[in-house]
Formats: sequence, C-alpha cells, structure tokens
Amino acid sequence: MKITDACVYPFPVGDSSVRRCALEARSFGYDSIVAADTPAAEVCGITVFPGIFLAGIPAKDVQSRAKKSRGTGAVVAVQIGDNGFNRAVAGTNGVHILRGIHAADKRAFDHVAAKIAADNNTALDIDLSVLIFGRGHLRQKAIHRYLDLMILYRRFEFPLTISSSARSVLGMRAVREVTGLCSLFGMDESDVQAALAGVSRVTDPGESIVKVIK
Amino acid sequence: MSIRPPTLREKRRYLLARIDPAGTILEAKDLYYATYEAVVSLFGDVAAAAMQPSVLAVEKGYVLLRCRRGAEREFAIALSTLSLCRDCTVALRVLAVSGTLESLRERIATIVPKAPVLPGQDILPAEQETAGTIPCGYLFGSSPVDVVTGNGHKVDVIEKGFKNTRRLFLTTEDLETLHATTISDGL
Repeated sequence: MKITDACVYPFPVGDSSVRRCALEARSFGYDSIVAADTPAAEVCGITVFPGIFLAGIPAKDVQSRAKKSRGTGAVVAVQIGDNGFNRAVAGTNGVHILRGIHAADKRAFDHVAAKIAADNNTALDIDLSVLIFGRGHLRQKAIHRYLDLMILYRRFEFPLTISSSARSVLGMRAVREVTGLCSLFGMDESDVQAALAGVSRVTDPGESIVKVIK
Repeated sequence: MSIRPPTLREKRRYLLARIDPAGTILEAKDLYYATYEAVVSLFGDVAAAAMQPSVLAVEKGYVLLRCRRGAEREFAIALSTLSLCRDCTVALRVLAVSGTLESLRERIATIVPKAPVLPGQDILPAEQETAGTIPCGYLFGSSPVDVVTGNGHKVDVIEKGFKNTRRLFLTTEDLETLHATTISDGL
C-alpha cells in the first residue's frame, strides 16, 4: 500500500522540479506522487507516476487516449463533466481517476455513476487545493460536494484518491495536515489512509473482485 | 486587576511552525492577521473567538503560535490553509504542539544549526572553491538563475530576468545537469 499524492504539477507548469517535489513528498510522509507530463521514475525513494490529466474532451476521445496509455504505467485522470459524460467515463477501461468534483454540477455525479465507478474500480479524486487556497463560496461549495461524495462513498465503496494539485512545493501538504483537512467533510483517519492508497488500488487492483471457484 | 492564580488561568497550547520557503522574512503582526483570517474564513467568528489564536514570535525562520487548550487541532487545520501573508506566498508547517513556550524554544535550538551557513554554501560542489560567496551563474533549463537558499539537496533559486523573476524550488541535481527536463533518467 503506497501513500500517494494523486496530482502535482511540477516545472514548467509549476515552479518546482520533479526531484524537489519528490524530496518534499518524502519529508511529508508520502511514498509516491503522480506528476503531470513526467516520465515514470524513482527519485529519493519516491515513486513518480506519470500523470495524464484530460479535460474538456468528449468521452470518445477519452476512450482513445486511455487506450493509448494502457500498459505505459501512466495514471489517467479525467476532469468531471456532466452526468452522461461521467457515467461514460467512469465505465471506460483505462481511466483511473475522475477529478474536479468540487467544481462540478450538483447532479453531475449521482448514485448510478457511483455504482459504475465502484464496478470499474475508477477512483474519485478529492482535490485539497480548493480547500487550501479557496475562500468563501468556492470552498463552501467544495466542502458540500465532498460531503455528498462521502455519502455515496459509504454506500458504494468506490476508490478515493487525495491530491494536493500543487503547482509548488508550498502547495503540498503533509499526511497529518491532509488528515486534518479531510476531517472537515467527515473523513476519519482510516478513510484518509484508504484514500491515500487509492492510486495503488486503481493502478494495481491485485486480486479480482470476482473469484472463480472450481 | 490582579493576576489570576495558575489554577484559575486559561489553559493554553503553543504551536511551533516552520515558515516555508526558507529565508522568508515576515513580521509577527502580518502573520497574525494572516493566521486570524485563515481561522475566521474556515471556522467562523465564533470558533475563532473560542480558539483565541495568536502569534507570539517569529524566530529564526520559525513561528511560535498560541491557542486555547483543546482547539489546537482545529488551529493546525486552519494553519494548513494559510497560503498568503502580505502578498507573499508562504506555508506554515506545524512541527510541534506543547504546553510551554520554553520547550518549543528548546526545540528550535535543536533544529537550527549553530553555525550560520551562507545561502548556497554547502550545496553546490562545483562552486566550493568560491565558498563564502553566494554562487551564481547557474542555469536551470536555458534560463540563468541565482541561488537564494539551500538546505541539503534542496535549493531555492530566483530566475534572472527582466520581467520573469519567480522563485523556483529545485535540487542540486537539477542545477548540476543544467537541464532538469532532459537528464539521463528522463526527469
């Protein structure tokens, strides 16, 4: 079980190099990070997963991009859209994470999409950057969405991931701080531990859910 | 009004936090306003009044904070949402919580090295002949950078330029290879 920050943006999008992000992640208690547009690597004992973040493209293109990235070891994350899009993408083989639920419509991710995500082992991402940097309505909306998400999570038990979406090492938070921030919307310590291990759960599912008994 | 006896005083908790990025000079008053804003925006006025957050001192890159006993967890959560202090991007990393200021000051003394190290002095082997000066003339990618601070493998640099002079957070390897995005292992 690897403790993973599911999204960081290193240089040139951000102001920190991949190595620095990895160094900081190690000091914050992580085992791995998912870095956007970065090749897979092992830096200072931290596993760097390449991240492919797709946003604003139709479901058909998502399928083709996910198909291309299969077998590369990349973590494919898709920005949440409307309800139909989310149901289609949640059931797409090769898509690991659905991101951006904090900014989505209230009905964008419902119980049907949650069931599809749980069946296909697709994770929902909890983006902490909006809690850290957001203020007022933006943060209130995000907390509300995450509270809704937790209700669906307890019912359907789809995987969760937690990301800092940091564009700088200053935006990264330690595991203890993440636990504190997640307690704002009702996640207890065991939920946080499971969510931090969510990336390894979706990329390496391990044993199949369905067991064949001979 | 006379001072209350110790048994009647409010119980307090003291927090020690590191100011990131290293070398940032902040005034306690500015940090107090930033801290208070973070607490109020997250928990509201009532919780802030009950929490009684305050900044006691800024010492050697660390800050000593105080809150009411029992509210230290919420205070630490609020501190993790602090990102700006007077137009300066900062992050406070809570290191310890204690019942006395003295123990936190002892902790600072154990963390902070006794001999002052010049920025960038111990980090860049190629420049050790010129120890005592702040090494400059490094390249990150194709842009020249100046080293601001260094701690172990971590190096903070500032881009040299006419317009774009943002601070970059790198490691020694990033500077030695001159191009962090095209080195042998692909990073």
